[in-house]
This record gives sequence, structure tokens and C-alpha cells, in this order.
Amino acid sequence: MNVIEMNQLTKMYKKGRGIENISFSIKEGEIFGFIGPNGAGKSTTIRTLLNYIHPTSGSATVFGKDIVKNSKEIRQRVGYLPSEVHYYDDMKALDLLLYSAKFHHYKQTNRINELAEKLQLDLTKKIEDLSFGNRKKVGIVQALLHEPKLLILDEPTGGLDPLMQNIFFDLLNEEREKGATIFFSSHILSEVQKMCDRVAIIKDGQLVKVERIETLTKNNLKKVNVMLEDGKVFHSTLEGIINLEHDGDNSSFLYSGSMKDLLQHIHTMDISDISIEEPTLEEVFMHFYE
Amino acid sequence: MFIYQRELKKNLKSLIIWSIILSGLIIMTLSVYPQFTKDQQMLNDLLSAYPDSFKEAFGMNRLDIGTLLGFYGMQIHFMTTLLGSIYTVMLASNIIVKEENEKTIEFLLSKPIARVRVIGEKLLAVFTNVLLLNAVIVATSFIGFQFADEQVSLNTFNIIILSTLLLHMTFGAVAFLLSAVMKKSRTVTAVSLGIVFISYLFSVISGISEELEVLKHVSLFKYVDAADLITENAIQPLYLVIMLAIMLLGSLLTFVVYQKKDIA
Repeated sequence: MNVIEMNQLTKMYKKGRGIENISFSIKEGEIFGFIGPNGAGKSTTIRTLLNYIHPTSGSATVFGKDIVKNSKEIRQRVGYLPSEVHYYDDMKALDLLLYSAKFHHYKQTNRINELAEKLQLDLTKKIEDLSFGNRKKVGIVQALLHEPKLLILDEPTGGLDPLMQNIFFDLLNEEREKGATIFFSSHILSEVQKMCDRVAIIKDGQLVKVERIETLTKNNLKKVNVMLEDGKVFHSTLEGIINLEHDGDNSSFLYSGSMKDLLQHIHTMDISDISIEEPTLEEVFMHFYE
Repeated sequence: MFIYQRELKKNLKSLIIWSIILSGLIIMTLSVYPQFTKDQQMLNDLLSAYPDSFKEAFGMNRLDIGTLLGFYGMQIHFMTTLLGSIYTVMLASNIIVKEENEKTIEFLLSKPIARVRVIGEKLLAVFTNVLLLNAVIVATSFIGFQFADEQVSLNTFNIIILSTLLLHMTFGAVAFLLSAVMKKSRTVTAVSLGIVFISYLFSVISGISEELEVLKHVSLFKYVDAADLITENAIQPLYLVIMLAIMLLGSLLTFVVYQKKDIA
């Protein structure tokens, strides 16, 4: 079953670009990455799904329900963590979380303490006295508290230190084991690579590709490092070589052609060292943005 | 009703402050009344000190300042209508737009609650606060009336108070609509207060010269003119209809506008 399904979803703004004809779907239980540079349309897509903004054309469903007509029912089972957390300054963290729980009619409020303890969050402080990172933690608790079926996370790790990020990822895994689907928007590829099953890449408001993470990184694309003897510089006109870069003796590039051709092409060169490895998602990603 | 409860709690402080200011003014003013009537000479002196156009502007020529309600109409009614309207528009103009400016609306709209419900509870919170302020006005007025050894016509006083309440709510509905339409919190407050002050100004100058009398039709304050209310012992049906229409239309439009609005 698809938890999210977008069909030619479009949001145009009078000035500036929104998103255009976005179509993809997310299956139940998946952790789905959504990556793209700032301003590519990630937040616009999420805001449209939550009905903060109305689509210009196209449609989308969440849990099989229309995002405009049945928004309220959808939100009952969604946990949303915005990229920037803005809460009522005059409330204490605990008050805010209790307020949030009320809307979801969620009664097991001792879960607030459990989550806060894991994240080392002081619930007695007022929101206005909390640092950016601690506000984010309130946001995380707020999103996870009512054990939603779908978690929508917009740049969730911003403001969290690496240790806290790991705790956060552990919490996400717990939710996933309970059966939650996670829609994870980010521009940090390493965390997407670490967490997600599939990923959608968005650029300038348009969907570039939807792919399994493994397929992306194993997509014939290889990262090749070559070092030539006597300080010679590697040059090649072989088809399939992209992003050739030189760093001293070392030359590196991405190669998408046949391995046999590459080996035949370079076996006559005075190679002192060579490595051929899987590229990181970062490198794959840059490839899409060429 | 979580949003309603939260709004009431959040706005309680300002309600208390405004209540104290208004009741202080009402009681202080009414406490002067007995001396006022005792000394007829002083009364006449006081009245003749005002220029005629001024008296006309404030309806003093048609009100008997020697009666308790006449005194109320002249000395207190303008405070309750004007200050109450200022309080109401300041409350109503911030109640929607502020959440958007401070982006707390992102929290609210991610919860399972319909936008209609958000607006409904906020509107109810505005009306509740205005009702409470008017209850304070009534209560302190009755306390103040005890200074005088004189019965007031409850019927007439009811009409004065209901008109005051209606005026507040009419301005409130307009400010509430602006709060949903406009983007900047400060602009909404400025525009709403501007509407109140201009309306008040029109009501004053429409009394000064006959040429400017047309202005009274566009001034809500003139609709609830104390001299008219007391001498007619009723509010003019046309004015009543206009105010109710503005109130209903403003509130309804707010729901419609907000339902379609993009929360950027």
C-alpha cells in the first residue's frame, strides 16, 4: 500500500518557482529520502502535502485520502517536524507538548518524559529560553509523541550535534519497527544514505529521479582514483569519464561506461596506483546536478 | 476548545488591565455627579464654558446633563465606546496574523484540526473577551450609579449598553477579517485603529457643521450616539441592520478567506 501518492502535483507562485508535476509514491513502512539543494522545492512539496498551501494543479493522497479534502483526517496520523521550529514563546516545553497531545487525543503523556529523557531535554524551560538545538528537540518530541503512522521530517538534523543525531536516528528506527513510514527531507546526503531505502531527487522544482539508494550508488557509476608515475598527469578522452579532477599526482573521476573499455584504455599508462570504488551518494548526486 | 481556552488565557492579562482602566474612569467620573447636580450654578458655568459647536459635536445640546443617564451619555459613553473599540480591534487584529508572523501557525495547522475550527474558536475568544469587558462596564456603572440618589431607566441603559457591545463587535469583526487577509501584524493593528479613529473623528465633525453632516452615515460612532439613544430610547433600525450586517459579513468572509489562504 502507498502511504503517499503524488500525481502531477504542481504549486506555482506568482513570483518565483514552486514545484512542477511532481509524481512519486512512498510505500508503507519505507524510509524515503527527499533530497535537493535549498530552494529546490522540498519544503513546498511538504507544505502542499500538509495543506498549508493549495496545489495549483495535480493531486496527492496520504493514506489514500485527498490532501485538500481530507487534510484533517490525514494530520491525525501524521507527525511533522518542520525545518525551523516556531512555538509559543510563553509556553513551557511541557505545556507545548501537552497542548500538542490534546489535539491528537493522545493520552499516554508519560511518553513525553521518556522521549525528553532520551533527548536530554529540560521540559520545565520556557520555549523562549531554549537554544535552537533544544527547540528542535521539542519539535522532535512533538512529532513522535502521538506515535504517528507517517512521519514527515524537514531537514530534521539541523541544530543537533552528532551524538544527538544518533539518538534521533535510533528513535526513528524504533518508530519504523512499530510500522511507521518516514518521509525524510534533507540536503545532507550522508544521513539520507544511512537511513533511507529509496530517495527522490528534486531540482528547480522538478523531480529528477526516484531510485533505491543501492541502485543509485551501484548504478554502474564508479569512482576511480589514478596515480601516474613520474608525476605525469592523467588525461583521457574516453567516453563515460566525468568530473575529472586533479589533486597533485592523484586524479579522480566518475566513470559510467563499461569496465572492460576502461581497463583496456588505461592499461598502457604508467600507473603507480589505482582504486575503483563505489561512489558516495554525494558524488552521485553532484552528477545529477551537472 | 483548546485554542479557545488558550486564547482566553493568553489575553486575560490585557483584559484585566483594560477593565481596571475603564472601571477606574467610570467610577471616578460618576463619583463627581452628585456634586455636579447639587451646584446648579457650577453646572451652568461648566456648560457655558464649552463653545456651541463643541456642544453640538458631542450632542450636549440634546442631553440633559442634570440627569444621571444624560451625564453618563455625555461623560462616559464616549469612553466606553472609544476605548472599548480600541481594545477590541487590538485584540482581534492580532489574533490571526500574529500566529502567521511568528510562524506558530505551522504548529497549529499540523495538528488534526480544521481551519474553520481554528477561526471559529479564535472568533469566539474575541467575542468572549468583548462580552467580559462590557460586563465590567455594566458592573462598574451600577456601582458608580450608587453615588447618585437617582434611579436610572434600566430600559434606556440596556439600549446604551447593547449598542456599545454591538459597536465593539462590529469593529472587532472588521479587524478580525483584516487579520486573516493581511500579512503584517503591525499593519493590521495600525489599519484597524485607523478605522476606529477616523470613524470617531467623523462622528465628531459631522456634528460641527451641516455640510459635513453626511459623514455621520459612515461613522459607526454616530450610529450609537448617546443623545439619539437616550432621546429615542432605541437604536435606529437601519443602523442596527448595518452593524449586524458588517459583523456577520466580516466574520463569514474571514472563514472563507482563511479556508483558501496559502500559509507561506
